[in-house]
Amino acid sequence: MSTLGLRKAVAIWFFAVYVFVGVPLWYKLTTIYRAPLPIEHIRSMHENPHTDLHLVIPVYVRSDTYNFPDVHDAIQVQVNELLKSKKGPLTWSLQVLPFESWVNEESDYVVTLALDNFIGYTIPYDSKETIVFFNDESVVANDIPFFVAQTLIEHTFGLEWQHFSESKDVIKETNNNMAISYTPNVHLSISLLTGDGRPVAWDIVPTLEEYFTPLRRFISPLVNFTVDTGIVYYNDLKLGSLSGSDTASWQDLSHTVDLSELSSMNYYSERTVLNLAIVFPGHSAGNLSFINSTSKHDWQSFLVPQWGVLVINKSPLPDSTRLTKDYLTPIIYKFSRELFQLLGLATQAADLSTPYVTIDSFKRLMIIRNLDESTETLWSLVKLVEQFPQMAVPEEVLVNVRKALDLRLQVAELINDPFKGGDAVWNQALLLSNELFRVCEDAFFHKEMVQQNFFPQEHKIAVYLPLLGPLTVIMLSGLVNAFKRKQKEESSAEKDQDVKE
Amino acid sequence: MKALLLLHTLLLVSFAELSTLTVDDELVILDGNLSAGNSEDNCVVNDPSFGIKEEEVVEEQEPPPVSGHFNPFQKESLMDYPFEERLVLRPLPRNFLLASFQFNITSDELSIDKGASHFNSYAHNTVFPRSISPILEHTNTRQLHLRFTHGLWDAESWGQLPHNGSKSGGTGVEIWAVLESDSKQAAFAQWISLANSLSGLFCTSINFIGSDKTSYPVFSFQPSGENSLPLFNENSKLYLVRAALANEPICTENLTPFLKLLPTKGKSGVASLLDGHKVFDSHWHSLSIDIETRCDDTSCKYHMEEFVEMVVHVPNALDRAEKPIPKPVEEHELRCDESKPHDVFECFPLPESTDREFELSKLFGRYILGTNLVSRSPSRVCAEVGPNWSALVKVGNTYFSTDDNCFEIKGDELHDLYLQTSDTAQVASSEDVPIYVSRSLTGYGQDGGGLRTVFKNPSNETVSLVYFESLPWFMRLYLSSLKIESEDGLQLDDVITNTFYLPAIDRQRPTHLEYNLKVPPNSTFALSYQFDKALLKYAEYPPDANHGFDIESAVVTVLSPLKYEMRTATLLLSLSTPDFSMPYNVIILTSTIMGLAFGTIFNLMVKKLVTVEEADKSNGSVGSRIIFKFRERIKAIFKKKVPLFDESKKNQ
Repeated sequence: MSTLGLRKAVAIWFFAVYVFVGVPLWYKLTTIYRAPLPIEHIRSMHENPHTDLHLVIPVYVRSDTYNFPDVHDAIQVQVNELLKSKKGPLTWSLQVLPFESWVNEESDYVVTLALDNFIGYTIPYDSKETIVFFNDESVVANDIPFFVAQTLIEHTFGLEWQHFSESKDVIKETNNNMAISYTPNVHLSISLLTGDGRPVAWDIVPTLEEYFTPLRRFISPLVNFTVDTGIVYYNDLKLGSLSGSDTASWQDLSHTVDLSELSSMNYYSERTVLNLAIVFPGHSAGNLSFINSTSKHDWQSFLVPQWGVLVINKSPLPDSTRLTKDYLTPIIYKFSRELFQLLGLATQAADLSTPYVTIDSFKRLMIIRNLDESTETLWSLVKLVEQFPQMAVPEEVLVNVRKALDLRLQVAELINDPFKGGDAVWNQALLLSNELFRVCEDAFFHKEMVQQNFFPQEHKIAVYLPLLGPLTVIMLSGLVNAFKRKQKEESSAEKDQDVKE
Repeated sequence: MKALLLLHTLLLVSFAELSTLTVDDELVILDGNLSAGNSEDNCVVNDPSFGIKEEEVVEEQEPPPVSGHFNPFQKESLMDYPFEERLVLRPLPRNFLLASFQFNITSDELSIDKGASHFNSYAHNTVFPRSISPILEHTNTRQLHLRFTHGLWDAESWGQLPHNGSKSGGTGVEIWAVLESDSKQAAFAQWISLANSLSGLFCTSINFIGSDKTSYPVFSFQPSGENSLPLFNENSKLYLVRAALANEPICTENLTPFLKLLPTKGKSGVASLLDGHKVFDSHWHSLSIDIETRCDDTSCKYHMEEFVEMVVHVPNALDRAEKPIPKPVEEHELRCDESKPHDVFECFPLPESTDREFELSKLFGRYILGTNLVSRSPSRVCAEVGPNWSALVKVGNTYFSTDDNCFEIKGDELHDLYLQTSDTAQVASSEDVPIYVSRSLTGYGQDGGGLRTVFKNPSNETVSLVYFESLPWFMRLYLSSLKIESEDGLQLDDVITNTFYLPAIDRQRPTHLEYNLKVPPNSTFALSYQFDKALLKYAEYPPDANHGFDIESAVVTVLSPLKYEMRTATLLLSLSTPDFSMPYNVIILTSTIMGLAFGTIFNLMVKKLVTVEEADKSNGSVGSRIIFKFRERIKAIFKKKVPLFDESKKNQ
């Protein structure tokens, strides 16, 4: 009896198990884990970055003299019209509401209509109130809603108007070369450097307490500063080599100054460090004649982008000198002003005249920027994952991405709610968006991802080929033979019969 | 008038000029109605219906309110900072010289209370290194001790270690700290953070410290100083944590950060002598840092002691300085034994000359560049020499001497020290070591071994001490095999009064062993125990796996008759090292066998089984088939014939 059929079946079974069970199992067991990221969601977020965002700021209108029962509706119409006229990267609007007794004047935006004999407005430097003055003619002409709308959009919310409506891209517009990237905690390092070892002292303690503490308190919702001070001897940032030159330009200076010792201070727990360095040349180097000293002070200050402020003194310190408050105060003032530039709050040193309003606007700007940057980070993550199909994507990345999407929803809910708009809300949203930014960075910079990326794929083949090679060859040749044999055996059976006959 | 409009364009210009206007000065503007206007070109609205012209400029008051006369600099008669430095030189027997650089620094007051006055908290530093305090604060460290030591201290000849051994560690890096924390787990996290920060600061591999190298000493390393262990938070506790890295090479990159911690930055004072080439060219050197938090009733300060110590062989060092490239000694400089035949080609050398004079600048290659100016007291150099030595300080070209051989460095002139003696063997007597301890590995083979520690008490007093040992987890210790060998018939119970033993956990915790020992006078004994060597995982071997593994020194803390601390030498343990190409070979071999087995079974099942005859029958060619048929015929003939034979037999 011929067993050919059975043998063929066995060969086919072997092959089938090899192909349909073995190979997928092998593939499954040897592939690296790639967490399923919500790629489509992130893609749509990247393509239409602000579709889920509609920033709404509540504004309460009150009138001292006259009662305008529906002025808020009229202002709302004007505001909407004005905002519609320019289409920026982000849709935002104001929710104009009548003033109620529960409105907190300190944390909410209030517009006060005041009767006067001319038309104008003012924004006090110490509150978030906008006062619009009107006269009787304007009431008759029904101009008030338009004045108010214009004042609010172009002045009270000038920063938003500029960045959300007039510009093309929130991120690019807010980034400048001078400013550090925004982080909620910044370290300030204040150093007094002298070129030699003669002892110096400075009244930095009372100066800072008097002139810097208020600034810290004021800016704390946005940036928390930690401050340390120190005296550094035998370091004049190599300025001594410029002492002979009368006409050293800014370029010469920037080529000469050696900030390495001050910049390599990586022992602070904060990621970002800004510096104020007050430098005195050593006695051996002598006067720095290129410094333009004025009658008021003997120093010149330089703003170093993303690093801090450098105050260079013209002449060396006399022996055993104490720098008094008189000397330090102007420097601290100047530094405070330039700090806003370094933080990106202001592009010019002087445009922070309505600080409460500006800081609040800046918060919103930072929230949007954090949202945008985190979207960019997530998009980069998606691109990375798609570009390297062999790269592992650990579970933590997925967890972080999910957390980020969650946080984004929370932030969006906060800023989209037309009835929420107090300080607490913006602070909360800013905190959440900072967290979002951090979570996205964590997801992108997961160390296992890039580390495993260059794990050579040939290794897998090299390791398994000694086993899989022989098995495959045996099995294939067995299968082929089994089918060839069929014809052979049939023909040989015929021949056998011939022989018997 | 109520018009409070502000005209910014003008003001902006004036703002820019007055380098003093900022947010906080606006907070003190007296008139609350005064507005500073908005940022850009606001207020003057483009819309003509606003119709307001530039009417009024509200003058900004000019801050800062400068009161009285302006006085930027104030002359102070005395300005001193809590910094002290001194250099102590002590000749040792056999032409060695111990140089000990000592620096004491105290920090400004610490701001501990971080609650209410959060915005008023500033960290001020004057002479205390600015890099250290953030690390200590951020890890809640109350005490930090760091040791970098290398070389051999010849205790039998040189006597006690400097400062009773409290400032020198075992070979490599040693670090211990007192951390304030809520739980042991949190303390460990702080410890790791501290190690990582210090690793960056001192350019060492301290960041390789993990839980498998960290121990929590019980009897040893007890922090001294009663008010140096303050608790800033009443709910937390203090944890003493320690680790050592025996295979860490100490080199110039570690000295540079040490010098940077000093206010003088090594550019004046005694620190100006320190040069990496000379320090690390010595027989024994030790760099140490001890930081304590000392509190009185009102405030707390960090107190730091920084020591750089070395033992140089004077003739060698001088030769090096004179002849950087070694050359044969000139004929006239040869010191030959004149009682024996000697000429240009034959010379029996005499022992080293005991007559010696040298200058410090020759030894260190540098001069002392004046005193440090920031200090409370000037830099000092002291020579602790015997009576037949003379020590002089050289300022310019003039030599000075003092009664106590201590010199104050003054001004910023170059200083040098001149030492001369007729007999270098006569040195200031150093005290004898209370105990000698040496430890060695015993046994052979790759699966086990033993540790043997010899204690020798040369004195006439019983010495009580704590013996601390932290062994890596891959030495699997059998404490039951602990034996004592003694010629005086001492038993274990006679010497060991107390034992602390924490067994290792693989890859997580080292073996931690501490004994309280009493060593009787004039006795010698050895403690020994056995261990197994564990196999490491493939990836756990270092790149130089065949070099072996350094086992950190054991620490001996003598409690009585005097306080003394010393370390044994490190050990080199060789573990069985795998052939690192083995896994691939195994894969290949196993695969081949599996392939072979599979092939056989597969062929058995798939191929047809036939007898040889069948195979011959079916498989043969035409020729073979003819042969087959022919053979069948012959067989048939034989088959016919055989019965014939049988029949004939029957017939017979």
